[in-house]
Order: sequence, then structure tokens, then C-alpha cells
Amino acid sequence: MGVGVMKLGKPAAFVAALMMIWGGGTTAQTYGEAPMLAEQVAAGTLPPVEERLPDTPAMIEPLSVGEYGGQIEWLAGRARDIRIMNVYGYARLVGYDAELNLVADILESYEVEGGRIFTFHLRPGLRWSDGEPLTTEAFRYEWFDVQLNEDLRPYGPDFRLLVEGELPQVEIIDDYTVRYSWSQPNPRLIPALAGARPLYLYAPGHYLQQYHQDYADPDTLQAAVESAEVQDWTVLHLRRGNLYAATNPELPVLQPWVNITAPPSERFQFVRNPYYHRVDDQGRQLPFIDRVYVNISDSSLIAAQTGTGGSDLQARHIRIDDYAFLSQGAETNEYYIDLWDTVLGSEIALYPNLTAADPVWRDLMRDVRFRRALSLAVYRDEINEIIYFGLGRISNNTVVPSSPFWTQELATEWTQYDIDRANDLLDEIGLTEYEDGVRLLPDGRPLEIVVETAGERGQEVDALQLIADSWSRIGVGLFINNSQRDVFRNRIFSGETNMSVWFGLDNGLITPSTVPTELAPVDQNWLQYPAWGQYWQAAAGAGEAPDLPWAEELVDLYREWLVTYDDDRKVEIVSRMLEIHAEQVTSIGLIQSIPQPIVVANRLHNVPVEAVYSWDPGAHFGRYRTDTFWVDQ
Amino acid sequence: MFGYIVRRLFVMIPTLLAISAISFFIIQLPPGDFLTTLINEQLSRGEGADMGNIERLRQLYGLDRPLIEQYFIWLGNALRGDFGYSFEYELPVTTVVGDRMFLTVVLTFATTLFIWIVAFPIGIYAATHQYSAGDYALTFIGFLGFAVPNFLLGLVLMYLFNVWFGTDIGGLMDREYIDQPMSWAKFVSVLEHLLTPVIVIGTAGTAAMIRRLRANLLDELQKQYYITALAKGLPRRRALLKYPLRSALNPFIADIGSILPDLISGATIVSVVLNLQTTGPLLLSALQSQDMFLAGSFLLWLALLTVIGVLISDLLLAMLDPRIRLGGGAVK
Repeated sequence: MGVGVMKLGKPAAFVAALMMIWGGGTTAQTYGEAPMLAEQVAAGTLPPVEERLPDTPAMIEPLSVGEYGGQIEWLAGRARDIRIMNVYGYARLVGYDAELNLVADILESYEVEGGRIFTFHLRPGLRWSDGEPLTTEAFRYEWFDVQLNEDLRPYGPDFRLLVEGELPQVEIIDDYTVRYSWSQPNPRLIPALAGARPLYLYAPGHYLQQYHQDYADPDTLQAAVESAEVQDWTVLHLRRGNLYAATNPELPVLQPWVNITAPPSERFQFVRNPYYHRVDDQGRQLPFIDRVYVNISDSSLIAAQTGTGGSDLQARHIRIDDYAFLSQGAETNEYYIDLWDTVLGSEIALYPNLTAADPVWRDLMRDVRFRRALSLAVYRDEINEIIYFGLGRISNNTVVPSSPFWTQELATEWTQYDIDRANDLLDEIGLTEYEDGVRLLPDGRPLEIVVETAGERGQEVDALQLIADSWSRIGVGLFINNSQRDVFRNRIFSGETNMSVWFGLDNGLITPSTVPTELAPVDQNWLQYPAWGQYWQAAAGAGEAPDLPWAEELVDLYREWLVTYDDDRKVEIVSRMLEIHAEQVTSIGLIQSIPQPIVVANRLHNVPVEAVYSWDPGAHFGRYRTDTFWVDQ
Repeated sequence: MFGYIVRRLFVMIPTLLAISAISFFIIQLPPGDFLTTLINEQLSRGEGADMGNIERLRQLYGLDRPLIEQYFIWLGNALRGDFGYSFEYELPVTTVVGDRMFLTVVLTFATTLFIWIVAFPIGIYAATHQYSAGDYALTFIGFLGFAVPNFLLGLVLMYLFNVWFGTDIGGLMDREYIDQPMSWAKFVSVLEHLLTPVIVIGTAGTAAMIRRLRANLLDELQKQYYITALAKGLPRRRALLKYPLRSALNPFIADIGSILPDLISGATIVSVVLNLQTTGPLLLSALQSQDMFLAGSFLLWLALLTVIGVLISDLLLAMLDPRIRLGGGAVK
């Protein structure tokens, strides 16, 4: 290694240590490999499997014993989405398993002390897809030569590596041990490493140095910059070194399949990585499938193509509305359809703007009785039957049942359809004057709420029309204003919008390791209190400080969560935050768990039948280990 | 003739400049830019946006500069053949468009050929047998083709071809031939896949062409020279083909002018629906995501091809029809 290496002894005792080893060692020292690779080994173009695998490979137990070989295809909506192969592949330093436990994967093990000192142990012998060993040099290169390089990152390292602006101290302890430490806990780090779009702490420096000013010969680099038609070396480095995008066939990676097609193309071929670090329980190197083709199509055509046999494994761009059509083609085109659970807090949620600019509306929206009345006057059963064929589940905008935090009360508080009670609540507020059947605001204007949409989903408008019917029974008018996404957001941020409609919580699958950012007013994109979010995000003076007791409590809880290193207390905090949201009806959720159809070719095996389709945590198919999927030969 | 061409070419320059400026500004009219699309995408996935990195990209792409400056930088580079970078594809614009251009050319010419081959005999038949049962039947079919939305017909045909012949849905060739060198098998595959789009895009054009040919021919058939020719005993077929038909051909020639711009924007909706690897869908998505150099370059070429196409068809018309004089009163 080129830089000074610090040798540090392991601390004798950890204050609080978390140690997880995944498949610490298969006893059998003989490994199996794919026939495709065995041929190359026989021909002498590839080293034998024992030399390609790390000393202790990661072991995975597949759902059934697989066969090597074959290929599958799936459809992407646009060329950029080939990066989803790196989500499906899901080789991470640390990753979620099917039960959402965090387990070491590329790492052999890791330790966390006090939530702020992270020690990572690499697997000796693990190699990049080009055969070069993966050592802490890759971490050193990424941190010192990329993240800290002022030309490559003039605005500083990735925000996930900062704790309130503080950079980590990075120590290269030996070839296989590296340590990141902060003076305060960094609860974001491990979930970020396990993310669907992960934080990369490593980079293939041995390949990228040819594009780095500090290493490359200036003339050669200049020639490379010119032939690639880019502005300077930093852009070239950025493009050639993007581990997530999968656009550079030359880039060494650690994923199960490696892209070998240079863009632009309509069909990308991903071939098995001969140095992949996982084996099945019989010591056979994964993945089972030789090749994965990603065909670029148009998102609007994917359902039709899938229904006529165009895809072996498809979830993207098909929806529950396509179910009937997809079922028709299942027999002739030899596939079946699974329905997986989804994790949005609510498929559709209404957001009263508690920081609206209009003082009359703002006061009304802040009155919890008003929000409860609106929620009680939504006939969710009807919406579920009419729009979702009765497949959804009535719920607030909250966690999904597969989350350990779920309770019946969180899901259904204030969701029963009760017009009388809603009317009583509105009367109690003092909205007793009517004109043409619509209540009047305190200043005499009619109580007609304009709900703004981003204009992207027809189902939002359908649902709003049904809600308008039932709200008219409590003397509340509802008008729909379709907008465009940027305009939609900006109007909400500036407080011009009184109520908006959007998805519910992105991640209703909250686990004890999830950072509860979505549950606190700390981001202007949380549409019910954008000004409070701006206040948290902005350095000086923007937005407004939360001034309702429950909102202050949410902020305090969030702040406490970030610096607590007591798992029980963290669980308490998140439970309390969810409780506040349900009690206060901070958003009006409608329906949850609209199933996601998954089309699977009959010849493809090991795709779980009952599972959860989630982006993060989950990485879609990623946590179900696509490398253990196999096809009939 | 030569002076005329030079003058026409000269007039093109301000036209092109105006078009490129207007289109560049129109692309920028919607709020936000490509990077807001990128930020929105990250936010909608619940990933925080890496604002430092976004800010850096904004600088690299020059999106932090005033619009006027962005335009002139782009135009200056474009004149030197550098059309800039596509943000979406992270590749030079010319690389992105490259392959698609060839398939677009193939599709456009196949479609034009289809229109001519079908419209020509039908148009003549309809004109010479005006108000006959055959005329009514063909007119009816023609109007049907004209009135049915292209994309709908495309979807229906695509589905039927899939059910009947097992042709893949969408695309211009079987998947295994993508990025492969040209071979007989690939050629056959392309032909098979061309059938749907050619018919779909062709029907509307064919219907319109039939109507125009019929109307023009009917005008000529009533003229005295034709009646005289018949009266003097010239065989009907020969009289028809030699004189009135030639004058009625003008719309075919004038159409050449619109073929060139079609290479870029032609039948965009159909191409999107049928998932053809042509330039139309690329232009559409570039406009949607505000991938402005890609979209701007497309619109510039579109403008260029339009003016060149119109010039070519003007010249051809003048060559084929002596009654047309270049430049009107100016050249005598």
C-alpha cells in the first residue's frame, strides 16, 4: 500500500460492542463453481475457484438447491435504470437479510462502539471482478483521494459521512481492518451502507488512478479527457468510477453480475462475476444464473410486454391494475404472478398544511378537531372497493403490519366513517354558519378546500372525487387543482397551498435501525409542515420554529434518537412519535398495502411467494438474494 | 437557378438562428432544470439528496450561468460540431443519437414507400371511377385510416401480430440482434418488426395522399386538353398516364420536403407506443426531463432538415413541372 499504515491493537473490551458474523466459515474447503467458469479454469484463463473466493466466503442458504447456468431477462423503463441491477444484486458491506436483520456481507464482521466508532473487518482473499484483491486500500482511496479531494468534491464529502458537520476520523489499521470514528453517534451510517442505493466507502483505486490527477500521467489523462469529450478529469473520474450506475463495463465491481455492454444500447448484458464472494450452504459459488439481460423499453409498454412473455422477473412498471391482463397471458407465456406486500405508509394521503400562509386557514388546519373531523368523514371502504378492488387495507398514514412498531390503534385511530361525530367536532370548533350547504370560515369565506395534486396519478383524483362526496355531508367543500410537480412543491413550501395530496410515508416498514426522519418536522418535503422543516434544515432564519406542543415534542424526540445509543429507548422514542402522528392526524391516510404484482417465469426458482416489495430497507428483490435464484436447464 | 439556390441558402441562416434561440428558451420555460428532476427522484425514494454533489453538477453543466450565456456557449460549440452532453445518458449527444438515426432512416423510407405504393393506384382508381361503388368503398377505408388514432391502431396491431405470428411486442428487431452486426437473420427480423409501424404510420399518410391525388386528378380530367386527347382517339390509359397524372403528381413531390424533418420527430407517439428505437421517443424524453442539450440539438437539426427539405422539394417541383417558376416574379 502506498500510504502509511497504522497498526493498532484491538481494544481489549468494548463499551458496547455489536458483533455479527455471517456464515463465519463453511467447514468444507472444496467449493463448487458454474460450468461456464469451470471451462475457463480448464482453459487456463481463470484461476481455480478456491483462489477466487475469499478465505471465508459469505454463506447463504437458498430456498431450494439450485442449478447453475441459464439466463433471465427483465425490462427497464429507461437506459439509466440498468443501475437497478446493483439493487437486485445487493452485495453490500453490510446488508439486510430477508428478515431485515443487518448482517455483514462483503465485510467479514464489524463492530460499533458507543454508536460512534465503527470498525470494519474485510474478508481476506475477497477480490474485485477483475481479480484484484479488495483491501483497505480501496477505502483509503475513496476517503482520502475522492471524498476529501477538493476538485472531485468541492462541497465536501457525502452528507451521510457527516455528523452535524463533523468529518469522521478514518484509520487504516491493517490490510483488512479500517475504522471510522466520530465524537458523536452516527446512527445513519450502517443503514446507509445497507441502502438500496448505498453509501460506498470503497472504490477500485487500482483502476481509477488512471483517471485521477494525483496519480495519472498528465498527458495520458488529458488525452483520455478529450477522447471522452468531457470538461475535465473530475468528470471523467466521476463517470468511470460510478459504482452504482453500472454504465462502465471496465469498472471492477463486487456485485454478482457485471455489465459488459457499453451504453448507449437497448439491451444490456450482465454476466456472472467469477470472483463473487458468496456461496450456498453446499459451498457452491453464487450466483446460479449465468447472464441477466436488461432490455430497455418504455415504462408505459412494460405491462404489455410482460404480459406477452417479454420478462422473466418483473415488478417495475407493473401495477395492480394490470393484474387481469397479466393473468390472461400467464399460461401461454409460462409465468405466474405473485402478489407482494408494499410498504407505503398510505397509498394516498392528504396533507393539511399546518404552516399555510393564510392565517384563517392556518388556524383551522392547526385545530386537531378539524383534522379529526376530516378524517372521520372519509369513506375509506368505498375508496378501497372502487379504486383498489378491495385489495387494500384501511389505515392511517403509518407503519405497515410487517413493521415491529405496528399496532391496531396506530392503523385505525380516527379512520372509522362517522359523519355525525365529524359534524359534532366541526360544530364544537364554532363553524356553525352555513351558506348553500357549505360551512363558513370565521371570516365569512366558504369552507372550500382546494386540494392540490402533482398531476401524476389518476387514482389521486378518483379518490378525491369520492372524498368530495362524503365531505359535502359535513358541509366541507373540496376542489381539486392538478398541478405539475415542481410547481406543486414550491407552492406548498411557500405556504400558498392549504391542502395537498401525495403518497403516504415512503417507508412504512420502520425497523429499530430506521432513522425516524420521516416522523419529525425536519424536512420541508414533509408536506404537512414545510416551514417547520425549513427551520430545521436551514442554517439561519428560514422557515418557522414549530410552535405546537406535539410538534416540539417530535423534534425533541428526533434529536434524542440521533444521540441515543440505547436500543430500548430508541424503540420507545419511535413508538411515541408514531402515536403522536395517529392522535394528531398530521396527515389523512386512506388505504395501505396495495399489493405489488411480481411476474416470475415458471422456469425461474427461489423467488419467494410471500414477501415485501420495498425499496429501502429491502432493495426490492435484493434482500431475497437474487444470486440464489436459478432457472431450469 | 444557381442564384436562386444561393439566395435560399442565405435566408436559411437567420431562420435557423431564430428557431434555435426560440426552441432553446422554450425548453427552459418549465420551472426547474434537469437537476431538479434528479433531486426529486432521490427525494421520492426517501434518500436524502446529496446537495453538494448536485451543486457541483450544476456548475459542471453550466446550469448556474444566465440563460443567454448558456445559449451562446451551446450554439458556439454546436457550430463546431460539438452538440454537448446528454445529462440523462451521461454521454455526448452525438453518441446517444448515433444508432437510432440509421433505424429512423430505414423506417421513414419504408413508410414513405408504403404510402406511395398504396396511395398511387388507389388514388388513380378513385379519380377515374368517381362515385362508383369502388370509389366509395376505398374512400370509406381511407377515411377510417385517417380517423383512427395511430397509437391505438398500433397497440391493436401489435397485440394481434403477437397473437397470430408471435412477433415480440415493441422494438424494431428481436432482442438477440440488438447491438449485433448486420446479418441476414437480423435483416429478416427487422423486416418483420417494421411491418406494424409501417402500416400504422402509413395509414394516415396514405389516406391523405389518396384524397389529394384524387382531387388533383379530377381537376385535370375535366380540362380540355384531356378531353381533346380522348376525342382524337388517344387510348384512355395512355392519355391518362402521359398528361393529367403528371400534373397531379405535385403532392408526392411536395411531400419529400416533410420527409426529412420526419426523420427526427416523425410519428413520435407511435414510436413511443411501439417502443421503436428511433429518434422520436428520444426527443420526447429529452424534452420531458429537460435534458436540454440533447433536446436543443434535436430541435436544431429538425429546423435544419425542415428548411433543407422544403428547398429540395421546391427544386424538384421546378424540375418536374415547367409551369412552376423559381422565385416567382423575380426570375423571368
